Amino acid sequence: MHIEDLAVSLQAVSHQFGDFAALTEVDCALQPGQLLALLGHNGAGKSTLLKVILGLIDPSHGQVTVLGQRLSAHNRKPMNIGYLPENISFYDKLTGHELLSYFAALKGVGQVRVNRLIEEFGLQYAQHKPLKGYSKGMKQRLGIAQAILAEPQLLLLDEPTVGLDPQASEFLYQKIQSLTQLGCAVMVSTHELNLIEPQLDVAMVMGQGRNLATGPMDSLVKQSQLPVTIRFDDMIRRVTRYNHLAAFYHNGALRCPVAETESLVEYLTTQCHIFDFEIEKPGLSALYQELMAPMQQNDEQGIVFQPVNQTVLVGA
Amino acid sequence: MNSQTLRVAPNPVWIIANKELKDSLRNRWVSVITFIFMLLSFSVTFAGSAISAELALPNLPSLITSLSTMTVFIIPLAAILLSYDAYIGEEEAGTMLLLLSYPLTKQQIFIGKLVAHSGIMLAAISLAFGCSAVAMLLWSEASSAAVISAFFQFIVSSSLLAVTFILISYLVSLHVSEKAKAVGTLLSLWFLLVLVYDLLLLALLVADLGSSSQALVNVLMALNPTDIYRAINLLAVDSPMGSLSLLADTAWGIELLYGLSIAWVACLAMLASQSFARKSI
Ligand SMILES: Nc1ncnc2c1ncn2[C@@H]1O[C@H](COP(=O)(O)OP(=O)(O)OP(=O)(O)O)[C@@H](O)[C@H]1O
Ligand SMILES: [Mg+2]
Repeated sequence: MHIEDLAVSLQAVSHQFGDFAALTEVDCALQPGQLLALLGHNGAGKSTLLKVILGLIDPSHGQVTVLGQRLSAHNRKPMNIGYLPENISFYDKLTGHELLSYFAALKGVGQVRVNRLIEEFGLQYAQHKPLKGYSKGMKQRLGIAQAILAEPQLLLLDEPTVGLDPQASEFLYQKIQSLTQLGCAVMVSTHELNLIEPQLDVAMVMGQGRNLATGPMDSLVKQSQLPVTIRFDDMIRRVTRYNHLAAFYHNGALRCPVAETESLVEYLTTQCHIFDFEIEKPGLSALYQELMAPMQQNDEQGIVFQPVNQTVLVGA
Repeated sequence: MNSQTLRVAPNPVWIIANKELKDSLRNRWVSVITFIFMLLSFSVTFAGSAISAELALPNLPSLITSLSTMTVFIIPLAAILLSYDAYIGEEEAGTMLLLLSYPLTKQQIFIGKLVAHSGIMLAAISLAFGCSAVAMLLWSEASSAAVISAFFQFIVSSSLLAVTFILISYLVSLHVSEKAKAVGTLLSLWFLLVLVYDLLLLALLVADLGSSSQALVNVLMALNPTDIYRAINLLAVDSPMGSLSLLADTAWGIELLYGLSIAWVACLAMLASQSFARKSI
């Protein structure tokens, strides 16, 4: 695919804040209609990366192309991008309806759409109350409605599910799906892996400003060292009977590298006549843990969470 | 092309100004400020009547002078309270980041805010002091032409003072890291410009009245927009009163003082919009 046809293309993008490297040689390509999950520890550079794509931060190095346009400090043509910044709290004195109407006016979107979104996001009952009285989740819903006002071609959401109740999160991902079906490319920075895992097309895991891994789940799982887990009933007896299985047995299940899964399954069915087994591929959470592990050893800034061994004196 | 897509979008400057207006009008400060202006205007206009128990309006020069000795304190304060959080407030709320992701220029945001805040100050000033003007037109001996021209220049110079302090507030708002710091810095600046500066100036005048120091005082006065305002209103009505009446016979005419006042506004507007343009996220 040509760079011009991609929704987002980052080539060796680096950015320094003073002498702190917030982004280092980040590459990324996002196609129209895809949902990319932007993952990584606190301070990994996710929000910074989104700001670079928006043209709000001019990166120190590298090439950024968004919706077919090469970004530079001088070239900022208006593009149809929706954005939700993290931790937004808006203007206390405006009402929800006024706020959305304000952003709609700035994007040249009509009132019909505003009313529709207020309804869809379940905010009718509060729409004429000042935002001061809104809960965190209600403000977040407004923020998301704001981001999709103009049916964007590219949607960048920075931790959109923070503060949302489970139904609202589900609605958000439904909304995202209907947008991707229309060809909108979506990037969601999030720490809620289980929410985004069933939805994502591409995962991008960042650590200390670097892109640690990018790709669809399947290929990330293949590249990883993580085992596939296979379980069936009466395991110990069956494993002792077939010597070949013992090599894979560990901690109450068979665990084998992704590449060897197929042959092991074939062995199970043809040689052992075992058909009632369950295969569990490593999930996003396991993948994330694996990618973060080296970060902890190599953590000069102390960014990555490390549990500290403490002696707790009970009743001392 | 579909005719519906040809709808003319309103200028973003107006959309922003409109929102700022709405936001500010719901601000308690704005009503308090307008109320204080009104109170001030009425009490100065009718104070004499209250004492003598009959309608006795002051003469035009002393009315304008009394008004301006008060407004020189209160207008800068009002402008500061109105606009101290114009930038730092949006930064703290996260909305500045969002606005900058919209198809808008920083210039449009800047002008939109300035139009709204200046408009509010102009409206409050005109409303409050317009009432005094009407009272003078109805019940005083002064000619209508004299009343209208005196109040016109009073409202214009007061508005220039207000815009000057709105722009100073923007500059501070663009450079601090939290709202509280903006208020603190601006109140100190207000105290310095409105009170301390003049005390120093007076001390200088009293200490030495030679011609060289008169020139120095003139320059020092031009460096403080509140002193320019005082001087304009002393000169305009030819009043011999007020702490800076010594300056009434300066070589500077009223046109030059207005010129200086406008130059202040222009310089501050340039400075503030440049700092906004250069500000990184
Ligand atoms: N304006 C700035 N000036 C200096 N350093 C900054 C600035 N913005 C971000 N940083 C630093 O850059 C790094 C990346 O920040 P960023 O906000 O992108 O992290 P993140 O991945 O979004 O984290 P989180 O999950 O906590 O939101 C952090 O170490 C942060 O301290
Ligand atoms: Mg972040």
